[in-house]
Amino acid sequence: MAAVLSSHSRVSDDTDLVEYYYEQGYSDGLPVVPPTPEKVAAMVAALGGDPEHVEARVPPRWGVLTREVLAVNMVMAGCLPRYARIVRAAILALCEPAFNLNGVQATTHMASPLLIVNGPAAREAGMNGGCNAFGSGNRANATIGRAIRLVMLNVGGGWPGELDKSTLGSPAKYTYAVCENEAQSPLAPYHVEKGFDASDSTVFVIAAEPTHSVVNHVANDAEGILDSMVSAMSTFAHNTAVASGHCTVVLGLEHAITIAKQGWKRADVRNYLWMNAGNKFRQLAFEHRYGKVYNRFLPVWYKRDLDSRIPITPGPDNIHLFVIGGEAGRFSAFIPGWGHMSNPVLREIEGKGKKEPVCVDGTCFL
Amino acid sequence: MKTVYDPRGAVGTDTKARAARIGSLDGLRLGILDNTKWNANKLLRQVRDDLQSAHRFKSVNYYRKESFSRFADPKLVEQIRAENDIVLTAIGD
Repeated sequence: MAAVLSSHSRVSDDTDLVEYYYEQGYSDGLPVVPPTPEKVAAMVAALGGDPEHVEARVPPRWGVLTREVLAVNMVMAGCLPRYARIVRAAILALCEPAFNLNGVQATTHMASPLLIVNGPAAREAGMNGGCNAFGSGNRANATIGRAIRLVMLNVGGGWPGELDKSTLGSPAKYTYAVCENEAQSPLAPYHVEKGFDASDSTVFVIAAEPTHSVVNHVANDAEGILDSMVSAMSTFAHNTAVASGHCTVVLGLEHAITIAKQGWKRADVRNYLWMNAGNKFRQLAFEHRYGKVYNRFLPVWYKRDLDSRIPITPGPDNIHLFVIGGEAGRFSAFIPGWGHMSNPVLREIEGKGKKEPVCVDGTCFL
Repeated sequence: MKTVYDPRGAVGTDTKARAARIGSLDGLRLGILDNTKWNANKLLRQVRDDLQSAHRFKSVNYYRKESFSRFADPKLVEQIRAENDIVLTAIGD
């Protein structure tokens, strides 16, 4: 039986609404935009109307996300109504069983969902995939990511110390949303590689660590640039190395152009990275210094002799490649994932999504 | 007056009765569910051995989840329910 919460109430005219929402505990730490009936109604309309329509139940609190509740959180985050279809699709992707948002919210790791948007929807919302894309300064990026986080906090109950047990957290837990720089990328867009048409719009979500810079001002060929990426990937400190799963590789524009000039395609980049990045099992087992280590998080089919090569991901398809960033600067980024416990989800924004079974055994792969 | 909103959404809850408490372990079927976390099997095997030295179980059955972070397969839960009287599980981080 549902414990019905009153969705709105009245306070006196002299109430400071920013402080009111702080006092209620409904903020991510930054001031929220106080929702008004007019703004909420406009956002509900942009979401498709019918404020009581249930979009999802958000773990680990399993709060019921109606369109009105989603609209309230979007207004609080500072979103415009034209962002609604992106936020809605991202939330639906996060709530697919394969993603395991329950675990992502509760883990002691610092992972946060990273949203990357492809297709015309990103351009229409005014998202930034260029200069400083992962940084501040763009309303769409900032508030779309923030709306996702507010839903995870308010509806999903991922409050720090309560249902979110992250040891350190990360700045990406405020907002973590970008789009691919399709207009300037020399490579095909990500969603085209995955079988969509370039005119389709998609959301990609992955449980991710923050960005790690990959600098290379020297190499004028694909191998040299990608060897720097291999170097960033080949540590045994990040979660993908230790717990397998998926990761994200972001090529900056200059790096991508240099690589593409040699005729390398997306699959060449991913295959090269998969082939060359990795650790020896002895590193992951700490030379058995603390007892014989098997590492149950890695795939069973990996050889576990001390000198066995342990790749960063089980295969090249687990490396998700995007071209993002501004015109100047020979920088790329490596973004480790959380581990095999979560599978990324790619979803068409206007599509119905896939009906998936309860994903308990890792078979629900993207 | 100003309108304010609750952004949390409702939570559905079901009240479930607690299972009857067990008075003695002797003669019962003990199920152990390993959640596959890093040290869970070490912890559970030690507890299993300690329990077995102190009690006479009818049987001891060991199960493992596919992933410590995901739900147990509903079929596995049904199997454990059918094959055991009591179940022991633990996180071993």
